[in-house]
Amino acid sequence: MSPATTVESHSQNAQAPGESPSRRGWWLRGAGGGGRRGRGRRRAADDGVPEDVIPIEMYGLKRGTTTVLTVVCALFALFTLAPIAWIVINSTKTQANIFETFGFWFARPFALFHNFALLGQNVDGYGTYIQWLGNTALYAVLGGGGATALAAFAGYGFARFSFRGSRSLFYLVIAALLVPISAITLPLYLTYAKVHLINSIWGMILPSMVSPVGVYLMRVFVEVSVPRELIDAARLDGASELRIFFRLALPLMVPGLMTVLLLSVVGVWNNYFLPLIIFSQNRLYPLTVGIGLWAQRAQNSGNAELFPMVVIGGLVTIIPLVALFLVLQRYWRSGLLLGSIAN
Amino acid sequence: MRAPAARVARPGRSRQSAWIHRRDRRGLWFVVPFLVAFLLFMIAPLGYAIYTSLYTSRIIGGTVFSGGANYTTTLQSGAFWSGTERVIIYAAIQIPVMLAIAFFFATIFDLGVAKWGRLFRTIFFIPFAVPAVVGAVMWAFLLEPQFGPFVHAANGIGLHNVNFFSSNLMLPSIIVIVIWEWTGYNMVILYTALKSVPRDVVEAAILDDTPLWKIIVRVKLPLVRPAIVLLVFLNLIGALQLFTEPLILQYFQTSAISVNYTPVLYIYNTGIAGAQYNLAAAAAVVLGLVIVVISVGSLAFRRSRGGVS
Repeated sequence: MSPATTVESHSQNAQAPGESPSRRGWWLRGAGGGGRRGRGRRRAADDGVPEDVIPIEMYGLKRGTTTVLTVVCALFALFTLAPIAWIVINSTKTQANIFETFGFWFARPFALFHNFALLGQNVDGYGTYIQWLGNTALYAVLGGGGATALAAFAGYGFARFSFRGSRSLFYLVIAALLVPISAITLPLYLTYAKVHLINSIWGMILPSMVSPVGVYLMRVFVEVSVPRELIDAARLDGASELRIFFRLALPLMVPGLMTVLLLSVVGVWNNYFLPLIIFSQNRLYPLTVGIGLWAQRAQNSGNAELFPMVVIGGLVTIIPLVALFLVLQRYWRSGLLLGSIAN
Repeated sequence: MRAPAARVARPGRSRQSAWIHRRDRRGLWFVVPFLVAFLLFMIAPLGYAIYTSLYTSRIIGGTVFSGGANYTTTLQSGAFWSGTERVIIYAAIQIPVMLAIAFFFATIFDLGVAKWGRLFRTIFFIPFAVPAVVGAVMWAFLLEPQFGPFVHAANGIGLHNVNFFSSNLMLPSIIVIVIWEWTGYNMVILYTALKSVPRDVVEAAILDDTPLWKIIVRVKLPLVRPAIVLLVFLNLIGALQLFTEPLILQYFQTSAISVNYTPVLYIYNTGIAGAQYNLAAAAAVVLGLVIVVISVGSLAFRRSRGGVS
């Protein structure tokens, strides 16, 4: 990757941090009507703007092709949604019905509320779901929030200062992207055994705060969205570096911060290997470890009454994250920041 | 080693550059919090793992320095290498198939040739928000040999005695699960890359009467090559660390998944269940090196062959 291409691709990102170029074009053109105007049929036709998408007739395609390709998309959507539909439907079933009735339709009795209530109980003495949910939320908020904060500081530092060793340090961080997480996890466990971090929530939270990808993304983002001139002007006015960071730079970094936050929260929420090996007390488990344990006990220890809890537990685990993604759509939809590693 | 020279050179600088230097040095404080965490929770454990891997614990005599003995054991372990071979085969199938699907849909959405593209993109992305544990549990129920609806469906279309958990179909089943989990994420990145292909380039090709497939393969594909290379690289690192899906499926009484099914399972079972910490540390180091070599190698190979930097 030559420096020239890097700069060029970054400036592409500069055009529209957090939003796709086409949408930004639409925004500028439609500025007269206020922000909400485009939410009608025009936008619903497709994500892009009509004037930015080349009409399909120009490619020599017939309208029938659209129908065929829409059906192909629908088939893949069916594949994508099948497990989700299954878990929603089966969260309403009793243990017997999960196994004996057709998986993709409802059955009587309607046991959703009964199953749901079980999540507040310690059914087999191996832990309570609601406690695991709290743990996961705690780890995700502190770990993901911490990762975002550290990445924001470090990304800004790397992008806007050239202190001695800044280049080599940055390359060290990039090299860390290569290190497989699972090669780190067992070593972490061995280290924890020495420093008494086994069965400590900090053993889970602190390593979650280390996000080399986050630092890289924030550096790229600062590079394109926080102008050097702005910082220099503030310095001439005598503002302190911390003040410049919090008052000037940080507001401009919000779209990047949201993306890094989203990625880190998902990373912690879904982490399985690390909590699996560092926690032996079930009151500390996150959801992933708890559900894994239930699945194992339901199958191998004859605790079949755990099956409905695995199902409803799985459903309740994915709801907050899916909701988060739907609410924060504009930060992942354009994929600009996700893909900026690619440029 | 270069530091003394720099120190000598500094007094010769102008007052302004000294000011810039002092100012820039303050930048270090922005980086320090991350660096401390990075050193403590990434570099230090790696160093400690390498140190541990050079020792061996004996019941009699305690822990003694054993040099490369753990590495010899790992490198000669059939269980470790059969797992490594399996994840390489798995990666060689799963990554191209998934990227082909992701590129296909990214192209469709980029061209705008399907209806409801926005809705479909959201739907395809949803599995990214599902933890691998929950994804594997759902698919385990769906594919279960006795009551799973997919087995019933296979029966319905005349395929009897299909067992997705048999040793032959286990790996393909895992591939399907991982494709389900990750296609949407890859698609979003490819879609963004395709969107940034300049419009006039495509229009020029259309005016030249270039057929659509040629525009996609000859114009767009080369321009999104950096994104594809990155995705190959990221997916490869992930694929070689396959762990959660086989472990969860193993809970669903499958004899098809041995305790050493993948290298990470080997490390997990050696280190945690077997309490052979020194050996597991050596295996973790070897796996880390294997992954670095394969991923960097694939990157270098693509670069040299592609000629696109």
